[in-house]
Amino acid sequence: MSHSVVAVISRFLEEYRSSTSNKLKVIDAYLLYILLTGAFQFLYCLLVGTFPFNSFLSGFISSVGSFILAVCLRIQINPQNKGDFLSVSPERAFADFLFAHTVLHLVVVNFIG
Amino acid sequence: MALLRSVSLLVFVLALGAQALTPSHYLAASDVDRLQAVLSQPFTDLKSAYFSIVGLSKLGVSVADSNDACSFIKANLDSSSIEALFYAAEASQALPSCEIHVSNETRDLLHAAVSEDSTVSQIHQAVSALSSLGLPLASQEVVSALKARISKEDNVVAITLALQTASRLSQQAELGEILEEIEDLAARLDDLGGVYLQFEEGLEATALFVSAAYALSDHVDVEPPLKEDQVIQLVNSVFSKKSWDSLSEAFSVASAAAALSNNRFHKPVVVSAVGPATVSHSQPLLQLQVTDVLCQPLSSADVLVESATSVTSKAAILSQTPFTLRDGIFELNFMASKPASGYYQFSVAVTGDTRLVANHVELKVKVSTKVAINNMDLSVVDKDQSIGTKTTRVEYPNKAKASFIADSHQNFAMTFQLVDDTTGVELTPHQTFVRLHNQKTGQEVVFVAEPDSKNLYKFELDTAERKTEFDSISGTYALYLMVGDATLENPVLWNVADVVLKFPDEEAPSTVQSKNLYVPKPEIQHLFREPEKRPPTVLSNTFTALVLSPFLLLLILWFKLGANISNFSFSPSSVLFHVGHAAMLGLMYVYWTHLNMFQTLKYLAIVGSLTFLAGNRMLAQKAVKRIAAEQSSRLAKYRSLR
Repeated sequence: MSHSVVAVISRFLEEYRSSTSNKLKVIDAYLLYILLTGAFQFLYCLLVGTFPFNSFLSGFISSVGSFILAVCLRIQINPQNKGDFLSVSPERAFADFLFAHTVLHLVVVNFIG
Repeated sequence: MALLRSVSLLVFVLALGAQALTPSHYLAASDVDRLQAVLSQPFTDLKSAYFSIVGLSKLGVSVADSNDACSFIKANLDSSSIEALFYAAEASQALPSCEIHVSNETRDLLHAAVSEDSTVSQIHQAVSALSSLGLPLASQEVVSALKARISKEDNVVAITLALQTASRLSQQAELGEILEEIEDLAARLDDLGGVYLQFEEGLEATALFVSAAYALSDHVDVEPPLKEDQVIQLVNSVFSKKSWDSLSEAFSVASAAAALSNNRFHKPVVVSAVGPATVSHSQPLLQLQVTDVLCQPLSSADVLVESATSVTSKAAILSQTPFTLRDGIFELNFMASKPASGYYQFSVAVTGDTRLVANHVELKVKVSTKVAINNMDLSVVDKDQSIGTKTTRVEYPNKAKASFIADSHQNFAMTFQLVDDTTGVELTPHQTFVRLHNQKTGQEVVFVAEPDSKNLYKFELDTAERKTEFDSISGTYALYLMVGDATLENPVLWNVADVVLKFPDEEAPSTVQSKNLYVPKPEIQHLFREPEKRPPTVLSNTFTALVLSPFLLLLILWFKLGANISNFSFSPSSVLFHVGHAAMLGLMYVYWTHLNMFQTLKYLAIVGSLTFLAGNRMLAQKAVKRIAAEQSSRLAKYRSLR
């Protein structure tokens, strides 16, 4: 059982390494970073407590929001999805990404206290 | 004394009889004096001289120095002014021997004023001046001029002046229509609570209306269309104010008072008791003051008690008993009828003049008496009644020589009788209390002594039963008897005896804590809100480092992937874009530390729009490059395929 799981995972990783373009890998690295940041914040909250609750919320929401926006960017940039996003050029996607991030950061900094 | 009398008169509340209203406001002697004083002020001009002289004459008082007054009038007279002529003429008429000579021009001036073109006030002044100076005047012309003016000037003051003018005219003139104006004006009066009747223009207008209405009614000998209640309400309104703002107001009140006290039809009567309406053996006479509104006694009137009934027993004590007049006061010896102490309702009627208004008055009279305490017997009774009682009699105001000892097996008993000192009739006053006062601790306990069916008062103290009231504190208690009532002249506080009470066990604390409410209470220390417990700094720092560590990982990954900025074109738009973007991030930090949302939005709008424009340009350039690259690669592919 575990043997097949390991096989699946290694196969997946191999596929990933070969078929994804560099651009997407860059974004994936960013996604991993955001994920870890959010996870560590959540871990702190679980272990130590929610003392400055607003700060925790704003940090966590920042991580979650950034993750989502980056995922959106990745989907829109991926040339394989070009058919779904005929009106959205990669540049447009990037511009949207930046704008959404501005709004997100405004809210986060407001709430961070 | 006069002040006390006026205060008691003012406080005097007359029951609203089923038939009629009685005056609740009137001038007491002190008020009349004050009115006179106001009117006796030295003259400043002709108008004030007029008010003072004529006002005082209405009160029946003459001016201090009439010769001086006369010369003052003559000196200040301006013969070309109708108003001045009016004041001078009226004032000189009121003075004993003061004649004003007028020239023919003046007379013509006054006659010319009587026309439809002058105001009612001018007509009034001209007609009064002519009348007071003894000059002839054409009454019918005046009447027609007045009628014409009344229809144009429909206000209260004008019509009142018209009434006043008409009272100076010949009786042969047709004054009927003007007489009807009294009724119309009376309809305009405002009824306030059924007590007052006055014009909204105020006290002066109401008072002047009263004097004008009665002047005209007397002149034509027709009763004014005012009901008795309305007359009393007018009395209340006019005399509700006891200090007057201006000389004209005082004058109007004096005129109204004179009119109400001396006219052919209505004479309001004021009946009030001299001092409190109380009789007793020392003061057996009920004294009443019966006056008109100017506080002048009605000596010719007959004052009669129609009925006097006791408030409690409703038994009639007196019926149709007259008062006797002595020195202007009506007296009745009520104690001669030997009334029991208490309150009596008197119904008094004043007769003798058909003009009298409000001449039935209800009065509440108190009969007070002195109380005597008889047969005060004190005893200590054993509960099981095996030992006979030893009764000690104490005479008021002595104290029992020996003190009484009562412990938990015994009762302390007290019986006595309260009687009227003079008649010997048994009394049941409102307050009969027995007070026990512990001299050492200052404690006191009060009980009520109740009368039985034979009006014998009994008080029993069951030591065991009552120990809670005494907090079970044994000791010597001084026993006082307190008797009081509104109808008693001599309330009693009598230290009858000392009682030593022994309670079974000392359950209470040995010292009585005096319930002193006014000592400072223990200070409350304010506890500020404790700041929340924070985790140790080490932990926080560790986790900060942990949370920031993925950034390092990111940089490493990007480096490994070969992400670079070699393609960075130093075009102005891209430089501006990156600078703007960096500025926006910097603004976020500054927002966190210094700014509020509004300021941030302001700066963000500026920086953001710049960044947007630059970024738009930059991305467009990139897009162009990308499309060109794609096209060239497609071309290359196409070429290689071929």
